[in-house]
Amino acid sequence: MDGPLLVLWLVRLGFLLLLYIFLFRVVRTLLRDLRAAAREPTTTLGRLVVVASPDHEPPAGHVFALDAITTLGRDVNNSIVVDDPFASAEHAVLTFRGNGWYVEDLGSTNGSFVNGHPVDGVATIGFGDELQVGQVRFRLERPRA
Amino acid sequence: MTADALPERPAARPIRRSAPRTLGPIRPRWRWVETKLLLIVAAALLVGSVSLSGGLTGALALYDPQTLSVYLAALATGHIAFVLAGRRTDQILLPVMGLLGGISLLLMQRLPQDLVTQHWFGNEVGLAQVQLVWLVLGIAITSVTGIVVRSDSWLRRYKYTWAAAGVGLLLLTFVFGSEVNGQRLTLSIGPFSGQPSEFLKVILVVFLAGYLSENRSLLMEQDTRVGPLRLPPVPYLAPMVAMWAIALGIVVIQRDLGAALLFFGVFLAMLYVATSRVSLVIIGLILFVLGSILMANLFDNVRERFDIWLDPFADPLGSGYQVVQGLHAFARGGLFGVGLGNGLPLINGNIPIPEVHTDFPLAALGEELGLVGVLAILGLYLVLVERGLRIGAAAADDFRALLAVGLALVIGIQAFIIAAGNLKVLPLTGVTLPFISYGGSSIIANSLVVGLLLALSDKGVEPPPPPAERSRWDRLRRRGAA
Repeated sequence: MDGPLLVLWLVRLGFLLLLYIFLFRVVRTLLRDLRAAAREPTTTLGRLVVVASPDHEPPAGHVFALDAITTLGRDVNNSIVVDDPFASAEHAVLTFRGNGWYVEDLGSTNGSFVNGHPVDGVATIGFGDELQVGQVRFRLERPRA
Repeated sequence: MTADALPERPAARPIRRSAPRTLGPIRPRWRWVETKLLLIVAAALLVGSVSLSGGLTGALALYDPQTLSVYLAALATGHIAFVLAGRRTDQILLPVMGLLGGISLLLMQRLPQDLVTQHWFGNEVGLAQVQLVWLVLGIAITSVTGIVVRSDSWLRRYKYTWAAAGVGLLLLTFVFGSEVNGQRLTLSIGPFSGQPSEFLKVILVVFLAGYLSENRSLLMEQDTRVGPLRLPPVPYLAPMVAMWAIALGIVVIQRDLGAALLFFGVFLAMLYVATSRVSLVIIGLILFVLGSILMANLFDNVRERFDIWLDPFADPLGSGYQVVQGLHAFARGGLFGVGLGNGLPLINGNIPIPEVHTDFPLAALGEELGLVGVLAILGLYLVLVERGLRIGAAAADDFRALLAVGLALVIGIQAFIIAAGNLKVLPLTGVTLPFISYGGSSIIANSLVVGLLLALSDKGVEPPPPPAERSRWDRLRRRGAA
């Protein structure tokens, strides 16, 4: 067999092989990344991040995982206790209804606000929107996938 | 020294979480995954270069080591810049883009250099050199965008401004564009000329991400019924119809089937991601099929494309020539290909496919690398799309999620359209194969897309600012009503 031709043939296949080694390593990294994401505890519906809280209860930066029905207020029986002098005992409730989040004000004294305007009855709230209860401001975030 | 002598610590000040985080001290962060992948990319390109030299000259040496080393140095510089910047961005996108660009460089070195010549600073430079300049510029753009862009509010806030700029660009092309091969695609301003549709696709994704994330809940309401389909409120269907009209307008005025297909495909995909409603996609597809039939009946060149697609062998030396030659190239390649530099037999001293560097790079690669090589290249595009979807899934709010998904899909759908065109799965259209086709606009726009994806993938980035724009407008309206 012709020596140089054989070498050339091997170089040709070597290039293709290296392409697949690259793909293999990439796919391995991707799978590892996906497995790590699957191991993390995921909140399936959404998260509520505390943006600002003058009385530090809940503390700013705290993240709440949301259930399909999450109540907010000063009373200790709420899912998220907002210990703020301007919050009512049963202030507002966040509900997930099939395709998105809704916020309902439960007749609070000082009202609930989405992006700065008051909630009359039930309002939609999207991911990235801000919810204000008393002086505490939350941001609704997508669940980490 | 006693504890009393210690300077008094300043009282802790409340941290304003909503304020944009200022640039802290920049700590370099090594990116091992990226380093390893880039080393494999370098090894693959070096072996590819030897293979190319063997195919073209018969000598086992690096083919044009200067060009290749400039490219590898650019990749290394980009990598080091990312390491020094220390952002926790994705480590897979840059190597994948680097490998695609390297394959492009090998292909351009292999093609006749006089396909494209430019005169720069008194020197005449050929195809590979020009492409090298674009690729290096692309890596620079990706790195700068991926490192510098920390906030997305400039995209989110001015979405209608971006949309207006896009429409303006489109109109400029309609009016001042020059026609190449019967398609009005190229816009020349002074010494610069480019294809605006490549940049339009980025603007389109930004606008759609902003629009859809803002009106997501409204689009998901179902209060209009047409037969078995449940539709969102009629006013919110307007942008869908507008998109359809724009896509048709691009076909009518620019004769650019590829861009129309790409824009509409991206639109439907993003609509589905935002609303998860199949009925909207079905309506979109019905509109698209109706539009296509209308176009095919009205315009000769559209009908010609369809005829070529259905039977390229009806006129193998005339209108079907390129498609037939492309299919022959794939057939010659077989499973493992004929080897870099061995393909594309000359016909009368010309390469068989005239537009091989822009429209048919996949056919050339299919001949020289075979089915195995083409599948690897398509796999690279799949990896790009997967990373984009992953970045979107991890995003904190809808705008970033839709933006990441849209940016990834724009590359994926474009690669699919032209690959399918080469393989006679779809009618052939004149879009470029991202990162592989020759062309400055295409490489720069796609590099920008990857750069934005990198910026969006940062895990330690500041939280998005509260959407105040909407409420300001509402407040103005309310004040007016009160």
